[in-house]
Amino acid sequence: MDNAIELQGLGKAFKLWHGRPNTLKSLALSFRRPKPEELWALKGIDLAVARGETLAVIGLNGSGKSTLLGVIGRIYRPTCGKVVVRGRISALLELGAGFHPDLTGIENIYLNGAILGIKTRDMKAKVDEIVAFAELQRFIDTPIKAYSKGMVMRLGFAVAVQVNPDVLLVDEVLAVGDEAFQAKCYGKIGEFQQAGKTIVFVSHDLDAVRRVASRAVWLDQGAVRADGPTDGVVEAYASRVGRDIGKGGTDGGRADGPGVA
Amino acid sequence: MLSELSELFRYRDLLFQLVARDLKVRYKNSVLGFFWSLINPLVQVATITIVVRYIMRVEIPNYSAYLLVAYLPWMFFQMSLMDASQSVLMHHDLLKKVYFPREVLPLSMVVANLIHFLLALVVFFIYLLVLRAPIVATWWLVPFLIAIEFLLVAGLALFVSCLNVFYEDIKYIVSVVLNILFYLTPIIYMSEMVYNRLHAAGRDLLFSLYLLNPLNAIVVAFRKTLLPPYSVPPGRSTPFNLQDLPLDYRLLAIAAAVSVLVAVFGYLYFNSRKWSFAEQV
Repeated sequence: MDNAIELQGLGKAFKLWHGRPNTLKSLALSFRRPKPEELWALKGIDLAVARGETLAVIGLNGSGKSTLLGVIGRIYRPTCGKVVVRGRISALLELGAGFHPDLTGIENIYLNGAILGIKTRDMKAKVDEIVAFAELQRFIDTPIKAYSKGMVMRLGFAVAVQVNPDVLLVDEVLAVGDEAFQAKCYGKIGEFQQAGKTIVFVSHDLDAVRRVASRAVWLDQGAVRADGPTDGVVEAYASRVGRDIGKGGTDGGRADGPGVA
Repeated sequence: MLSELSELFRYRDLLFQLVARDLKVRYKNSVLGFFWSLINPLVQVATITIVVRYIMRVEIPNYSAYLLVAYLPWMFFQMSLMDASQSVLMHHDLLKKVYFPREVLPLSMVVANLIHFLLALVVFFIYLLVLRAPIVATWWLVPFLIAIEFLLVAGLALFVSCLNVFYEDIKYIVSVVLNILFYLTPIIYMSEMVYNRLHAAGRDLLFSLYLLNPLNAIVVAFRKTLLPPYSVPPGRSTPFNLQDLPLDYRLLAIAAAVSVLVAVFGYLYFNSRKWSFAEQV
């Protein structure tokens, strides 16, 4: 088996409480309350990602993309089905996770690195590189509450790319920032690809998807609508979304992909 | 549970980083900084001493020392649980974005408070040396006592931090229970006073039950291992006919066993629910 990720019959349901019992009183009275509604964010997903492959996941908001990354990245447990991931996995779903405004740049580098599962010993060796990559040499001993948004983002990214997993999950975090920052991000993704890492990449930016991924999956209401070479899937998705916009977006989903062809 | 523990061990650097963050942030913008963690118990102990000594007129020689040696482990217990009960909920956004063993959140709070506790104990030791107080032969037991209390606190911290995610009443319940527990534990009074009362009433069993609260046994043991038995000078009488009883090792062993059980079950319970934290919107 040379698949890095295998999903079989994967389903994930969230409980939607209409007035959930979050206090003991309402818990005690909960026999009178309606049961939570089950909301299936993912259903019947069968998917295999080969080692070294880059897979893009596209779909409207609410189609289950983030949930899919969450389940693969062990943040959520699947409700049914099987998830197999071979090798070390890292999920970059947010830049600067756990940054504390009162800590300095350098302190936050160690904290953020530890949150991403990087050993402090390894971080020590990389800290100069991180500071240089984030272009923050002058400010690195300042609490980051004094940083601009862009500086915080650069710092978060510089730490995040230090993860050295076999499987990398990337959310749209990379789509933020100015042109130069984005170019840097995609450059790093290219490096990861060359190093033979398996990448699952969620984005609304269809141009980026075309550039980065060789294969794409279109998620629609929690199920796989199309799976195959990027160009075909993106085309089908774009024309479908275009038609929905023409009709005035009947399904409540919002097409916010800027790259709609 | 072993695989969870080994995963926790893999993430030990995160635990240390979170502890470091807590210690740095807590006193970051205060002038006295770390000293606040010492000033707080000292002021409390001074206040209680004044009330007991000069208002209630209970005369126990060196009362403040006996009070302080019990107050420090109590403060470790109280602060840890208060901090931990909020710890998971506070990091809710993080839980939805990053995988890591969730237990590092409450445990980092317990460890941060343990460090405060250890520093306070060091200061207490120095204080004893300065006063040239006799060193009690059983002081070597102190590391065991700290370990027992750590297990007890860690187990309870895991338990309350987990429950608080689902029912936010827990943090209020914790603070009410802590208030009651403060008086149920022999901190401002001596366990012998309770013994005298219950023994006189022929209720030794009730006294044993009273000491079964592991925190009781721990606090009493801290007092008896660090300080010499208190003695009432001849001619003076206290209202309680106070006489120091020796340390009861059997009760301490029971407290240790209870603490281990609390730690194990707290961890099992936390593990059984920790992957649904991120789904609580």
